[in-house]
Amino acid sequence: MRKKKVGAIAIKSFALLVVLSTAYQAVAQEATTTYPSMAPIEQYLMPDQGAEIALARSAAPESISRDADVLVLGRHGFETAAKGKNGFVCIVERSWTSAPDPDFWNPKVRTPICYNAASARSFLRRNLKRTDLILAGRTKAQVDEAIGAAVDKKELPAMEPGAMCYMMSKQGYGGDTIKHWPPHLMFYFSQVDPATWGANLPDSPVLGMSDTQEHLTEFVVPVPRWSDGTEAR
Amino acid sequence: MTRKLAHNLSLSAFVLVAALIATRPAAAQDPEQPYPTMAPVEQYLMDRDAEIALARSAAPDAISHDASVIVLTRHGYETAVQGKNGWVCWVGRGWMAMFDHPEFWNPKVRAADCLNPPAARSVLPYAYKRTELLLAGHSKPEVIAAIKSAIEKKELPALEPGSVCYMMSKSSYLTDNGGHNAPHLMFYETSKDDAAWGANLTNSPVLSVNYWYISAQSYPQLKSFPPLSVFLVVVDKWSDGTPAPTM
Repeated sequence: MRKKKVGAIAIKSFALLVVLSTAYQAVAQEATTTYPSMAPIEQYLMPDQGAEIALARSAAPESISRDADVLVLGRHGFETAAKGKNGFVCIVERSWTSAPDPDFWNPKVRTPICYNAASARSFLRRNLKRTDLILAGRTKAQVDEAIGAAVDKKELPAMEPGAMCYMMSKQGYGGDTIKHWPPHLMFYFSQVDPATWGANLPDSPVLGMSDTQEHLTEFVVPVPRWSDGTEAR
Repeated sequence: MTRKLAHNLSLSAFVLVAALIATRPAAAQDPEQPYPTMAPVEQYLMDRDAEIALARSAAPDAISHDASVIVLTRHGYETAVQGKNGWVCWVGRGWMAMFDHPEFWNPKVRAADCLNPPAARSVLPYAYKRTELLLAGHSKPEVIAAIKSAIEKKELPALEPGSVCYMMSKSSYLTDNGGHNAPHLMFYETSKDDAAWGANLTNSPVLSVNYWYISAQSYPQLKSFPPLSVFLVVVDKWSDGTPAPTM
């Protein structure tokens, strides 16, 4: 049921962009059979903590990420590895929070993100909880249900005004479906109509999606350069 | 990012998005005031149809086609086209810059802009007020005092969350500096902290300016205004979908 709803949202939100979907379906089918369940936890961990910290920081320009907190993945969830002072939090997210469904259990996924303070206090908490639940052995459906319930009970906060993040790393791995995300910024709101930002319309630079279960709307705005200042073109 | 969004983006052309132009709008370099006073009002006015077309060009047609359009007259802005999607497109003039901006009275400025519904409701009223008072001949200090009074009496609204505008016209003239123009989005926030978005730092794609002033030295009363920051992100395409040159 839930999967159908998400699929419907996808079709609605990206109706103008489905030219790629045929090719995607083939890749997705293959990926689904490739990663049917969780791999051994070791495959999701990065043995070199220094490398994970560096990858996390690469999500934003060094002028931002050098003063950010950095979280790294442990066997039971994310832990603080570096304490910052500017309110940003950088992290390398794994497949269960940041990859398309076919890559949900893909152990190779590494998605560097730097959240600003407002999103670290609001949006990031959802992904930390999601990770805790996954590592505790919950299924995808159980996790989705638990997050939605926690949002409804206000155990997880609504999005704060100005919540946004940087995803400008030249590195990382988005999954077999999308191997690398172009550099972009993301903005978080507690459920608004994507049309209020003109998202998903022809020639609009903004993509957006609402999730009614989580009362969440995410907007994506591509930017021209990687975090190190080099052109992405 | 949530995996649901990742899933949807993976279906989209987002993966094909090319890099964007890497430029920052040129900051005013001249410390003197090249436009110390208002020019004759005729120099700020436009042919009505041309102004409507320029206003609409601020956003992709999919947005601006159904937007309301306002145009400048001798006494202020008036509605020229009634839209149906809540967006309002218009052509800003130099005086919509900060009060101490060197190009405040630059009659060449034509800043095509489409405001989303929250911005149309909560940002545009300030533009109306400022424009009407200036065109009526009031001085900047008088305008500032009148706006402050209106804010205190709640005649002007508080900023709505999610206020955004598109400035992607190929035909805008934003400044005498640099290439005069660059396609960008602007996000209005009540934060007065540039660092909240990592703006104005090396290699950051985000610029931030204070809506009211550059330094507030000339008009210190602006310091007591409600914080209003404008965050700006340059995009890679003009509103018609053609790529913007790298600058």
